[in-house]
Amino acid sequence: MEAQQADTIIGVDVSVKGNLKNKGSIQINGNVEGEIKSDENVTIGSSASVKGPVMAKNILVSGKVDGVVEATEKVELDPTGAVSGDIKTKTLIIREGAIFNGNSIMAGAKETPGKTEKDELKDEVIAESTPKAGFWDKNKK
Amino acid sequence: MYYYIFDPKKCKKKTQVEAIKDQLAHIGISGEFTYVTGVQSASELAEIGLRKKYSTIVAVGSDDIINQVADKMVGKPEAMGIIPLEASAEIENVIGVRNPRDAIDVLRFRRIKEINLGMTGNRRHFITSAELELKKSTEITIEFKGYLVQAKVSKMTISNIEPNVKKPKPEYLDVTIQSDIQHENGILEKISGLFTLNKILEKNISTFRARSMRIFTNKSVFITSGGSVISKTPQYIESTDEKLRLIVGKHIED
Repeated sequence: MEAQQADTIIGVDVSVKGNLKNKGSIQINGNVEGEIKSDENVTIGSSASVKGPVMAKNILVSGKVDGVVEATEKVELDPTGAVSGDIKTKTLIIREGAIFNGNSIMAGAKETPGKTEKDELKDEVIAESTPKAGFWDKNKK
Repeated sequence: MYYYIFDPKKCKKKTQVEAIKDQLAHIGISGEFTYVTGVQSASELAEIGLRKKYSTIVAVGSDDIINQVADKMVGKPEAMGIIPLEASAEIENVIGVRNPRDAIDVLRFRRIKEINLGMTGNRRHFITSAELELKKSTEITIEFKGYLVQAKVSKMTISNIEPNVKKPKPEYLDVTIQSDIQHENGILEKISGLFTLNKILEKNISTFRARSMRIFTNKSVFITSGGSVISKTPQYIESTDEKLRLIVGKHIED
């Protein structure tokens, strides 16, 4: 995720309002209020502040994001990174010192469907009928 | 079939004009020679050349008359040639030559590349780039499709063609702005800042790629191309749908 390769670069002290959509990579070092969407990579630099959702293939957060962060491949939070919002991705890397307030949803992972009352009852029955730990060992003796 | 528009101010000596004419005649691409005067501008001469049904109109001079000729040639089936005299390095890069002699050779082979141009709302075109004439840092707002950019800017350039930059689509304009850092730093930070100056400058540069934009400033500022004023802010700038058929060197990529 090289900053130099980005199609769109937002410098320090530059403010952007609105929806920034780009096929190429985006590097943010300034302030953005609105949606950021890229088919490639988005890099939120240490001096950047973003209020709004960020969507891309790979997202590197070294600055502040207030919104949902959604990557089809990978989200990385650097030690200086701070995300207030949910993160949806296949791979999530949070480095020591990073701040993350929200839920992480691992895309591609099988989600457990919510249990019904009937399922819970079934669980209880199974629990009662399942031998406790060590049962088989005792019986082997 | 060649119609030449000379800018006499850019010819160092009268002998340079004669030398160019001789070389053109020598390789068999001589034609009608016209000269920009106080009475007739390059764009008026280009119109005359087109009316006379010349298939190739050649601007001989710097960026100013090259852009004026391009104004009239965009969207036309006729080809435009360039013999740069005191033109910018960008113009030389676009056609792939370093001197008038090479440019004449390029004309002979007549390899045509269709290019988009940048255009201001008052229909002034630019082949390479346009920039805002900013004498000091200026608050600027740029409206792109879907978003607004605001910054205090010391330099702003809108590039149509940059020979070393490969764009995903030719009809995009690359906008580069250099903004000022507005933090008040202490002495220690200022000293340490000297060592990280390059990094700061890098972070201070913003680039955007768009087909069109509107530029607003608090006070109107001039927009120049090749050193000549082509417009002023507030202004709408876009990449043209129509193309210019420009004669370029063999090694210039399609």
